[in-house]
Amino acid sequence: MNRIVALWRDTRHLWVLLILVVGIGAVALMARARMVPESYGETGPYRARARDEIAAKPSVLIADATCLECHADVGEERAESLHKAVRCFHCHGVGHEHVALARKAAENPDLSVPPAAEWDGNFRTDIDLYVTEDRATCLACHQAVVGMPEDFKKINVAEHLENMGASETESRETCFECHAGHDTAP
Amino acid sequence: MVELEVIGGANGQCGGSSDPCESAGCQCDSAESDSRRQFLQQASTFALGAVSLTLFPVSVAEGEPAGGAGGGLGTDAQPPMYGFLVDTEKCIGSGKCLTACRVENDVPEGYQRTWVERYVHFKDGTVQVDLVPETGYAGSDQPPIDPEQVERAYFVPKLCNHCEDAPCNQVCPVHASFTSPEGFELIDTERCIGCAYCVQACPYGTRFINPDTGTADKCTWCYHRVMRDEDPACVEACPVGARLFGRVDDPDSEISQRIAAIPTSVLKAHLGTHPKTRYLGISDEVT
Repeated sequence: MNRIVALWRDTRHLWVLLILVVGIGAVALMARARMVPESYGETGPYRARARDEIAAKPSVLIADATCLECHADVGEERAESLHKAVRCFHCHGVGHEHVALARKAAENPDLSVPPAAEWDGNFRTDIDLYVTEDRATCLACHQAVVGMPEDFKKINVAEHLENMGASETESRETCFECHAGHDTAP
Repeated sequence: MVELEVIGGANGQCGGSSDPCESAGCQCDSAESDSRRQFLQQASTFALGAVSLTLFPVSVAEGEPAGGAGGGLGTDAQPPMYGFLVDTEKCIGSGKCLTACRVENDVPEGYQRTWVERYVHFKDGTVQVDLVPETGYAGSDQPPIDPEQVERAYFVPKLCNHCEDAPCNQVCPVHASFTSPEGFELIDTERCIGCAYCVQACPYGTRFINPDTGTADKCTWCYHRVMRDEDPACVEACPVGARLFGRVDDPDSEISQRIAAIPTSVLKAHLGTHPKTRYLGISDEVT
């Protein structure tokens, strides 16, 4: 009996140390289980599921192919145009609400796609569809600006009208009085 | 107990460190003392290793070769899969890419994931750098520059460089900034604490704290579009083809062929970040 008491007395500090180590280890393991997010470390030092979450975001910008599903005639008009690299949304807005509505209307005959809203002139906020014949639509790209490449068609409206022999009395409010929209020739 | 006393005594007598037991008058047994010290060193190394293995997941080490990305620490393990080529000789400064990016990624007003700089070299030797307005210059009230005074001028679209050695990743304290297996630098907005270390770490100024979410935000090369085989929104939007995106690991892709045919450069190459966004037609003043 005395030997057991003596053994305990002599090794007590070791047992305390052992309990401390095991205890701290257990706490650390539990904390880790709580704090390390699920899927962490599967493909690297990050939460692997974050990738799937980012990849699952919907594509907003509508591809021209989507527009041409319904507006195939415009596609034919544009096929040989100088402007065939210009995207539909450059002049008409992004139109994802228009497309969503058209898709619904295709399945439900009670729905119809309303005519495109008039452009309010604000490129930034008006992200949906518009039809525009405003001069600014063309000048958004073609206004002569310092820094443009040499071979890009740059327009200074006053000079252009003068060169084309337009008299001052003629209106020429929009570019479309002379130029066609979709199959634009020089 | 007896042994512990000997250890204490040995340390006391031998000085314990640099001059072990060889000086005259040292009474401890050199061989025995060494093996005990070796044992203690090995045991403590093992204990440290065991503790760190329980604290940090082993799967990180296993995941790295498969993932192909060191994430927070260092270079991609494999050559880049995707690349982005900006052709400054084509850009007309229309700002279409800016609108497209804002719409696609819901970027708040006043912040930009991509932007277009204009470098104007005047004949008097001065250089002016300004930002292309989102409406293009035609829709802005910015006073026009007199072309007569301009030596040369060009536009430089900027976006995230998706560096192979991304400094932004390395400073993230919560591993919210990471490299995807495809080599895209992305942000886990659920983990991001908005400390903005990465905003300061990026040498290209591409990151910002999104006021709507309070987390770091930046160009993702439209990861969500690319993963479904679409082009990034700015590439899709460019009317003159100044932005080109594609697989650089495929020698037949358009971007690979253009990079092979024409000399291209990267921004701030001296920083060793190894950007995957490459530029065509820029000179040294562009950084």
